[in-house]
Amino acid sequence: MSTDEIRTRVKKSVAKITNISFDEISDNASYKDDLQLDSLTILEIAVDAEYQFQVKLSDDDLGEIRTVDDTVMMVQQYLSPAMV
Amino acid sequence: MERRIVITGIGVVTPIGTGCEEFWTNLIEGRSGIAPVQSFDTSNYDVHRGAEVKEFNAEEYILNLDAAHLGRASQFAIAAARLALADAGVEIGSLDRKRAGVSMGTTSGEPREVERFDDAYVSKKLDRIGPEFLALYPCHVIAAHVASELNFAGVNIMIPTACAAGNYAIAHALDVMRAERADLMLAGGSDAFSRITFTGFARLGAVAPETCQPFNRFRKGMIPGEGAGVLVLEPFDRARRRGARIYAEVGGYGLSCDAHHMTAAHPQGDGAKRAMQQALTDSKTKPEDVSYISAHGTGTLTNDRLETIAVKRLFKDAAYRIPISSIKSMLGHTMGAASAIEAAVCALAVFNDRVPPTINLNDPDPDCDLDYVPNFAREMRVNVAMNNAYAFGGNNASLILKKRELLN
Amino acid sequence: MIGKRVVITGMGVVSPLGDSPARLHDSLCQGLSAIKPIQLFSTVGLGCPLGGEIIDFDAAKYLGQRNLRPLDRTSRLVGSAAQLALEHSGWSAEMRAAQEVGLVLGTMFCSLHTISEFDRRALEAGPAYASPMDFSNTVINAAAGQTAIVHNLRGVNTTISTGVTSGLEAISYATDLIRTGRARALLSGGADELCFESFYGFDRAGFLCRSNDSAGDFPIPFDTRRNGLALGEGAALLVLEDAELARERGARIFGEIKGRGSSYDCSRGRNGSDAVEAIASAIRQALSDAFLLPHEIDCLSASANGSQVGDRREAEGVFTGLSGQTHRLPVTAIKSMLGETLGASGPMQAVALLETMRDRVLPGIPQLKEIEHGFPLEMARSESRETDVTHGLINSIGLDGHCCSLIITGCDN
Repeated sequence: MSTDEIRTRVKKSVAKITNISFDEISDNASYKDDLQLDSLTILEIAVDAEYQFQVKLSDDDLGEIRTVDDTVMMVQQYLSPAMV
Repeated sequence: MERRIVITGIGVVTPIGTGCEEFWTNLIEGRSGIAPVQSFDTSNYDVHRGAEVKEFNAEEYILNLDAAHLGRASQFAIAAARLALADAGVEIGSLDRKRAGVSMGTTSGEPREVERFDDAYVSKKLDRIGPEFLALYPCHVIAAHVASELNFAGVNIMIPTACAAGNYAIAHALDVMRAERADLMLAGGSDAFSRITFTGFARLGAVAPETCQPFNRFRKGMIPGEGAGVLVLEPFDRARRRGARIYAEVGGYGLSCDAHHMTAAHPQGDGAKRAMQQALTDSKTKPEDVSYISAHGTGTLTNDRLETIAVKRLFKDAAYRIPISSIKSMLGHTMGAASAIEAAVCALAVFNDRVPPTINLNDPDPDCDLDYVPNFAREMRVNVAMNNAYAFGGNNASLILKKRELLN
Repeated sequence: MIGKRVVITGMGVVSPLGDSPARLHDSLCQGLSAIKPIQLFSTVGLGCPLGGEIIDFDAAKYLGQRNLRPLDRTSRLVGSAAQLALEHSGWSAEMRAAQEVGLVLGTMFCSLHTISEFDRRALEAGPAYASPMDFSNTVINAAAGQTAIVHNLRGVNTTISTGVTSGLEAISYATDLIRTGRARALLSGGADELCFESFYGFDRAGFLCRSNDSAGDFPIPFDTRRNGLALGEGAALLVLEDAELARERGARIFGEIKGRGSSYDCSRGRNGSDAVEAIASAIRQALSDAFLLPHEIDCLSASANGSQVGDRREAEGVFTGLSGQTHRLPVTAIKSMLGETLGASGPMQAVALLETMRDRVLPGIPQLKEIEHGFPLEMARSESRETDVTHGLINSIGLDGHCCSLIITGCDN
């Protein structure tokens, strides 16, 4: 799966969870400061990413997710080589 | 003159004992009820400990209904109700049943019933689920079952305001009694250990791996639990006339809503402060007259910090002089039962002039600098106790209990 | 009961028959039925394919462009009804910032659907993939909490869950708070959503009406042919206020909560005479609370929903509770058209009654052809008719013991 595919899926998920339109979600926008999302919503985005890609992030990793880019990178790190 | 309402009986089913005596003894000794979860398999989880009720024999307490056809939260509630009535020395048969009522709180109702449903659904065997689902699952059955067991035909109400439910239920019972709609009320809360609740809190990262350490610097979260607490409320005059032991007066309460976030409290503890203020006003208590506070104290980073802020904002300098402890350090978080059990503890504190400790407090968080009665119970005069509870949805409730002597 | 007078200054309703009190009233008076084949979930394998669903319910219509993802169906129903009620009553956002307005919500299940989905996903995919956002909606006070956040309702926020009577009990609870001066303005009412999980429960318990696919024939409260209830959904909220406050701010006053009563049948429906007595007791308490005599009740909004046993017991309980003064008592049973909306039912009946008081027309019970012989409620009719109502009695009667009665008085009094 290419980075772009992962990014698209993550953004679609963010759009669904936050009701922000897909096109308005930039790759490096901060979930908290730019998109004004609270911690529950950010956790929901992270868990949805885990669920979609069938990966499991550690609690520390979850704490590091602040932007779409972070989410994509984290997923890539955990995806098995067969999927990448 | 408003009717004065007192607590004449206490019944509890908890992770550290069933029945007032056993429970209070273990509480004062600082015993913990936290252990590896037994009621379902936690191998797929990152956390494995909970505060379950051990060795509960429902048949012992359920004499009219069939225990086997009741959910666990109902069983706990009935047991606590019977224990409370026995503790109060009330002859059930002598009551005017239309003026005897039940007001209970809960978080989950009967979760095992819906968990059974889901198990069947997921294994495509839904036809296993029959008429018992509707009869046993909806949360109002808890108060209903207590009333049916005891033949109480008066007020019957369920207030499922999650982790603050016990306080809400007791507050409502107080109102019912003040309005003379009942001569006796059973009030409290009950919750059974729930896979759904455990899963949710674990997923939020809110569950501690080992113990519950409220106000401790390195606290790691709450520990889900289960149990029930029921109080017998009677009018002061009747209680005195029949020579009942009076634990405490229910002085008043305050309710508020943060209207801020479903799972996170208001950052300045605004709702919590308003609930406490209302409770003081309602009970005609000055802040500095509060002797002891039973904290919500779940052991999560945010709750303990915000609760401390709210207490300081309201009590100002007096905050540093009022002991405030969290029994969740020992019982874990018994959900809808928590504030009911904590109210019972406040009544016992007022009656016995002794307050329970916050255990596991060896290294306090610098932001949490109040007197949390660390590790050891304390003998002290308790004239007025405040019981605080905060829930998902921003539901806040504070209850004030006062020494009986102050009634005369 | 002595204390402050409690008036109704606004109403909000979201239902399959209209999302304003007037539209709901018109539909009911025309005898329209909400009971249709369910689209929300599959009813294959179940005994009844019909329900009172709000087809294409879209909360954005009421709540605007805010992110509604954190709210599930029940929360959206309540949030929407709250929006409508607040608009109707004139309680603007500015006013709510200055004065705490509370919410007392009755609901039987809140969202059993969310609870189940959350659990099932954890079972199927593993607990690590459980949805944190869904978890916050698995508590039964979730809808009340979500609605408070959406509308900045910082006063008392309570959820009451007593089965079918939840909504009317919530209105009673709110009334008490205002009477005793603990609150000055409260939204109160109830809601329940239609979902597979609760529908399944009712189906397996044998409560649902047996019907072929044709919609509109059943349920028929009080009719000899009745064979069960149809489940519905919706939300209805009243704005209750201290009468003084309402006058001070020049609010429109639609009616007054005059009396309330509740009781519990310990036999949980197993003993017929206990069940009837519990119903009668709730009515008597409401009369006493309202300082009214039975003959002063001008109409009855019955809880009857088509249940064989339940409808008959209500008729007998009303007869007893009103000391036999029922021969000339106009009766309606709007669950004939809305279905059994559980927590929303009592509040829906309250909204409909207030509209009847305004418009002087009482909805009929469509399809009613033959009341059981000896039924003491002779004035149940299939057609809607002109009726003057000053004091109206509303019943909510549960499936397993709870009984609640409310008396509302029209605004000219």
